Parts: sequence; structure tokens; C-alpha cells
Amino acid sequence: MPDSEVKLTQEVEKVKLDKQTLKKSLFRDMFTLQWSWNYERMQALGFLWAILPVLQKVYKKEDELKEAMKRHLQFYNTNPVASPLILGATIALEEDRAGKAASSIKVGLMGPLAGIGDTIQAVLFRPIIAVIAASLAMSGSGIGPLLIFLAGILWMAVKVPLFWLGYNKSTALISDVAGDGLLDSITNTATIAGITVIGGFIPSIMKGLVTPLQFARTITVDGQDVEKVIEVQEVLNGIVPYLIPVLVVGLAYYLIKKKVSPVKILLVLVALAFITSLLGIL
Amino acid sequence: MEGYGFFIPLILGAWAYISQIAQLTGLWWAEALISGALTGLIVGDFELGLQIGATLTLMSLGMWTYGGATMPDFNTGAIIGTAIGALGSGLEGGLAIAIPTSLLMTQLDVLGRATTTVFIHGADRQLETMNLKGVTKMHLLGQIPWGLSRGIPVFLAVWLGAGPIQSLIEWFPQWFINGIQLSGKMLPALGFALLLSQINVKKYWPYLLIGFVLFAYLNMSLIGIALIALAVSIIIMHMEGRSSNAR
Repeated sequence: MPDSEVKLTQEVEKVKLDKQTLKKSLFRDMFTLQWSWNYERMQALGFLWAILPVLQKVYKKEDELKEAMKRHLQFYNTNPVASPLILGATIALEEDRAGKAASSIKVGLMGPLAGIGDTIQAVLFRPIIAVIAASLAMSGSGIGPLLIFLAGILWMAVKVPLFWLGYNKSTALISDVAGDGLLDSITNTATIAGITVIGGFIPSIMKGLVTPLQFARTITVDGQDVEKVIEVQEVLNGIVPYLIPVLVVGLAYYLIKKKVSPVKILLVLVALAFITSLLGIL
Repeated sequence: MEGYGFFIPLILGAWAYISQIAQLTGLWWAEALISGALTGLIVGDFELGLQIGATLTLMSLGMWTYGGATMPDFNTGAIIGTAIGALGSGLEGGLAIAIPTSLLMTQLDVLGRATTTVFIHGADRQLETMNLKGVTKMHLLGQIPWGLSRGIPVFLAVWLGAGPIQSLIEWFPQWFINGIQLSGKMLPALGFALLLSQINVKKYWPYLLIGFVLFAYLNMSLIGIALIALAVSIIIMHMEGRSSNAR
């Protein structure tokens, strides 16, 4: 072995991480990332604990390890499903002892990935599952709760391939995220699918909101006075079906846009329900 | 005044704790439908648990933000509401309890979240002395305020409250029951509005209209609407891809 090579290995002491350590790190992120969530630094401690096995393998000297740990105890928050992707990319850089690059890739990815992850989860996947599950349960089927239960597990399982993708691509992820508008395109597609579904779910879920109002009118048929009952709901259906659900959702949406808190809006809707029910309008 | 013994409230309190931690983990177990159904099984009225859980789940659509505004806690509401409704007052009685409970729980949520800051400062201190076991401990203990802020109220409410509250519900007048029933039909509006507020409606409203027409005029089933939505979004993606390739 030439002298120079010996020197190099002594200086840098590069460690190739074994699969065991990587898996340990993934599972910690996968299951406990948010256990110590707090207002101040959110998922920071969860991320540190996830990457700790890696840091211990890479940084043998105590002061180095301490420095690395402090770096990872900084503010961190992203969509929990996207987190393993970021963790994988960060680990790949820590493995090369590129601490600064590791910290910046982490910060650079967490914002954009939180955006896309939250959109897919909150606007698309979860509402669809929840509405279908609730409809099944309303008709007395135990498959309803089971459906949400299984969907949650499926959503968790996505984390595993994302972690390996992040680890293998590492810095190339940054150009993917910032580059050709891929994230925007995915978010756009998810939003279109989500809002189309919501448009159908609003009348379907709230179809119970109908008015019992009716009034009698005397009309003359063939010279005879006939009492005819006119149901207001039937008239409404002829003009715009599901008008009442649309109006109530519109009111709630308007209040949100006016920055009224969700808790207050809930109280407004309950009050509205009591008043309209007492007056016999709804 | 018939209530529950000690054991069932304890199990329900434990589930409130576990489901909250599972929620942090990323499993969707702190879901009114799951907790309602499970509570129904435990107290012996599965059907009621499904009804209350499904109603509350529809109210809680769009309320899954991370770290953002305080939201009504319909999961805890479903457990307590189902346990009390199963004593005889049924869906209306259960909802009459579940809705205010979900609201009150927001206060405890804030308390629970604020307390967890203790653990990150603890981790800072342990790191200074390089006590790695201490750092680990701080992280794993961080779940306690989250879980207890749900578990304790559920345990106490079902253990001590169920009987007295049930006697109270029996005095509810008919107009009150009617109001609760109508609230159940009206509150999903809040969930839908919250969902819409997370989307740029000014840009995407035509798709909202397509979905509405599919149900309101064509009576399509929920799954059918979801499939159309999938197809529409993919078509748009292809069209955008083509226009950017052309550039």
C-alpha cells in the first residue's frame, strides 16, 4: 500500500454505513418523528434521534459528534411522509462527512416537500378515504373504520421507498425539487383531483339539509277551487338542486376567508342550526 | 343513574392516549370513525359507534393541519360521545355531548403542546454533557403531554361523568334534540370550507363545479366521482406537459 493512501485513510476515516444502521435510522424517523413535537423547534428532536445512529458511526471523536448533533437539533418541520426522503438525502451527505451540505439540503427540502406532501394528504387522499369510509359507516358497514385504518398503514408504508430514494439520489434531489417544476406539476394535479372530488362530495354528504317549508295555494281547475300544496324544496330542486348545502358551505368558507377561527365558525353553525330548526325553516 | 365502572373508562382513556400517539406516528387512528367504532365495540353498541364516528369524521374533514390553528378534537369527542350515548340517549344524546367536548378539548391541546417545549430544552442540556441516553429519553418522553392531555379527560369523563350526564340528557327538550340533529347535518360544511381554504379556489373553481354537477345533476356515486377526478387531473397533467414541451 503506498504511503499516501495510508495517510488519506487516517485523515478522513470514511465510513461506509451498513444497512442495519440505515434501517434503524429510517424506522426511528418513520415511527417517532413527531413524538416530541413542540411549538419551538417542532420535529427537530425527532429528526436528531432518527439520524443519531448514523452520526455515532460517522463521527468517532466526541467533539465532532457533539457539533453534528447540535446542527441537527435546529428547527425542522415537514410533512411526516416526506421526512424519510429528506433523512435519506441528509444521511448520504453525513456519510461523506459533508456536514454543511447535509444541513442545507435538509433545510432546502423541508419547505417544498411539506407543501406537496400536505396537499396530497390533506386535499386529496385523506378526504376521499374519510368521506367514503364515513358513508359506508353511515349505512352500518364496519368496513368504514377498517378502510381508514388500512389507508393510514398504506400511507405509512410509502415512507420506506422514499427513504431509499433520498439516500441513493442525495444531492440530485435538490435539482429535481427546484428544477423543472416537477413538484408544481404534481401539486397541481393533486389539487385538481382533490377539488373535483370535493365538488361532488359537498352535495352528496350534505343532502340531508332540506327545507320542510310548504304552503297551500288555492287554484281554480275547471271552475272548481282546488287546494294545492307547494313544497318549497321541490321548487328549489327545479332551479338549483342542493342549494341549501352550497349556501351553508359558502357561509363557512366566507367566514374562514374573514379570518374567523374554526372554533367560532363551528359555534356559528350550531347556532344557525338551532335557530332554523326552531323557526321550522330547516 | 347508571354509569360505567372503573375498567371500561380506563381502556377508553388508554385508547385516547394510544390513538393520539399513533396520530403523531402518522397512522390515522385518532379518527372519530375509528375511535367511535372501537368505543362502540367496547361498550356494546357498535352500530351507535359507527353513526357517531361517521358524523364526527365528516365534521372533521379538512382539520388535519400540522402545528397550525387549534381545531376541535373530534376524536376525543367520539370516544366520550359514544360511551355516553350508549347508556340510552343514542345518536342525538351522543352528539350533544361529543360536539361541546370536541370544543373544550382545544384548550387541553394547547396545554399539551405547550408543555412539550420542556423536552426540547431538556435535550439541549443533555447534549451539552454528551449524555446520549438522556437525549433519547427526552425525545421518547415528549409524547407524554400529547397522550395524557387526551387520556386523562376521557378516563375522568367516562368514569365519573357518564352516569350524571346521561341523567341530564334525559331532561333535554325536543327542540334541543332537533337542534342537535340539524347541527349534525350542517357541520360538515365547516370541514368542506376548511378544505377549500387550503386550495386556490379562484384558480380551480371550474373543477369544483364539474364535481358538483356529477353528483347534483347526474347522481354519480362517490367512487365514480373520484375516478372522474383522477382522469381529469391526469388529462390536465398531460396537456400541461405537452405545452411545456412545445416551448
